[in-house]
Amino acid sequence: MAVRLYKEPKLEDPVLIAGWPGIGNIGIIAVDTLRGAVKAEEFGEIEPWDFFYPKKVLIEDGELKDLEFPINKFYFRKTEKKDLIFFIGEEQPAGIGRAYAEGIKAYQMANLILDVALKFGCRRVYTSGAAVAPIHHTVKPRVWAVPNSGDLVDELRSYENIVLMSDIEERGGQGNITGLNGLLLGVAKKRGLEAICVMGEIPIYFQGFPFPYPKASKSVLDVLTAILGISIEMERFTAIVERNEREIERLYEKFPSEIKEQLDKLRYVTYTKPTEPGPITEEDKVRILEDIDRFFKKEPKED
Amino acid sequence: MGERCPFIKIYGKPELQSSSLIVGWDEDAGRLGTKVTDCLNKKLGCDEFGEIEPAGFFPIDGVLVEDDIAQFPESKFYCCNKENLVFFKSTPPRAEWYKFLNSVLDVAEHYCHVRELYTIGAMITSRPHTIPRELLAMVNSSKMKKMLSQYNIATDTEYETPHGQRPTLSSLLLWVAKRRNIPGVGLWVPIPFYLASTEDPQAWRRAIGFFDERFNLGIDFRDIDEEVIRQNKKLTELANQFPEFNEYVRRLEWNLSLTENESEKLTETTEEFLKKRD
Repeated sequence: MAVRLYKEPKLEDPVLIAGWPGIGNIGIIAVDTLRGAVKAEEFGEIEPWDFFYPKKVLIEDGELKDLEFPINKFYFRKTEKKDLIFFIGEEQPAGIGRAYAEGIKAYQMANLILDVALKFGCRRVYTSGAAVAPIHHTVKPRVWAVPNSGDLVDELRSYENIVLMSDIEERGGQGNITGLNGLLLGVAKKRGLEAICVMGEIPIYFQGFPFPYPKASKSVLDVLTAILGISIEMERFTAIVERNEREIERLYEKFPSEIKEQLDKLRYVTYTKPTEPGPITEEDKVRILEDIDRFFKKEPKED
Repeated sequence: MGERCPFIKIYGKPELQSSSLIVGWDEDAGRLGTKVTDCLNKKLGCDEFGEIEPAGFFPIDGVLVEDDIAQFPESKFYCCNKENLVFFKSTPPRAEWYKFLNSVLDVAEHYCHVRELYTIGAMITSRPHTIPRELLAMVNSSKMKKMLSQYNIATDTEYETPHGQRPTLSSLLLWVAKRRNIPGVGLWVPIPFYLASTEDPQAWRRAIGFFDERFNLGIDFRDIDEEVIRQNKKLTELANQFPEFNEYVRRLEWNLSLTENESEKLTETTEEFLKKRD
């Protein structure tokens, strides 16, 4: 179980940004898009065989040539504003029969990632995932942010489109973040690093769908670039988001009308605490959210 | 080793030098892995000498019930001192694959001085039961490929795992063995898809036949041949009762594909008939 570094870049007070697959692949798309946009360079990896089952075998002329494992790589980029380290994991090290990271393997991986972060003088970590929320897909997804220290709350509140757990009605600041996105926050806290998980909202009715939701990744990207104080070229990614929105709209049109009728009510509700009067009464809002909740028999959750 | 690795239990004393390890997995199509290792164990009078404990490699939160019987994972080592062979028969682990497979090779090297590895497994094919079973090999070293050239085995496979699928555990074991400089061969017998969840004695015969030839074991094949004849009779009976079965098989013989519905029907009919008659 080891980290292999191909080079040791000289970095100044870098931040680590980590992404894995999850609901709607919101986190990994955001982090990998940022990595590509700043042209980060690969400089290391975590040896995968202790964590993952291989994903591909290559046999040529009857001889085993290669066995490919899910990638777990580190990248770096020095920018004018900030030095960045990226960690991209193609899979989460899951326990037996589990989809998300948990157990000793996940803990070991979180520590290996932070070993690298600390080796290069990193003091802050960002992870990214999805927040399943009772929103309509035509609404701009907000970004739920969870820091691992109260000292970071005021800073987070200063950015646009961010929601803290205490902003969500009936949560009272409580919640949980499954998988490595959450675990890394905890392990970072234990090892004295600041960490923030940013989660893009995905409509509750798309959480089980096997397709990405880049619209939420874009919200996450907007937040991350604002926090890091860097700007990136977004034209190509925006085009991807728009194409995906059209595909989603086509899919939505195929939903049975009774389902659409229920889901369309989500256009008019907000589950966060109101700051100004909305287009519907509080009574209507409670009724609509109860309807939707009964319909899906699920609570909002994060990954 | 048992002291350093509490999940490895060794309770026998194999007396082997430069031995060969043969690995078969339960849950294999046509029960190939289980049948081949069980059959060779029995015919060669092998002794069980160790096992890998399941905790950590398998979910230990109850038991799975299959065909009315509670199942529990088993991972056991057997040896045949006379023929210098080691067998490992196991349920495929559900976690810690790399650690598990290294443990298999640790035992094989430390206690049995293994010098080469063979894995046996089935692959699902659309070729029908009326066509003789082939034996395909995938090697992890050119040395093994050269050795195999004297046997009637296809050794020129080109393969890349299709999207959405994963490599087999045997492929991973061969890769682990390669990293430890243990030459190995993955042997594969294509099994007709409609026999995959039942039994395919022809496939057993083909695989055991190779080991018999390779290690000069002098296996008595009478009981296996009887099994082959018995199943062929059953399938002939099935063809007589269900003309569709005959038609599907003939189309497969001509290399014509079946629709998804036809494939399902062929599988269901065959399974039901064979189970009813067993």
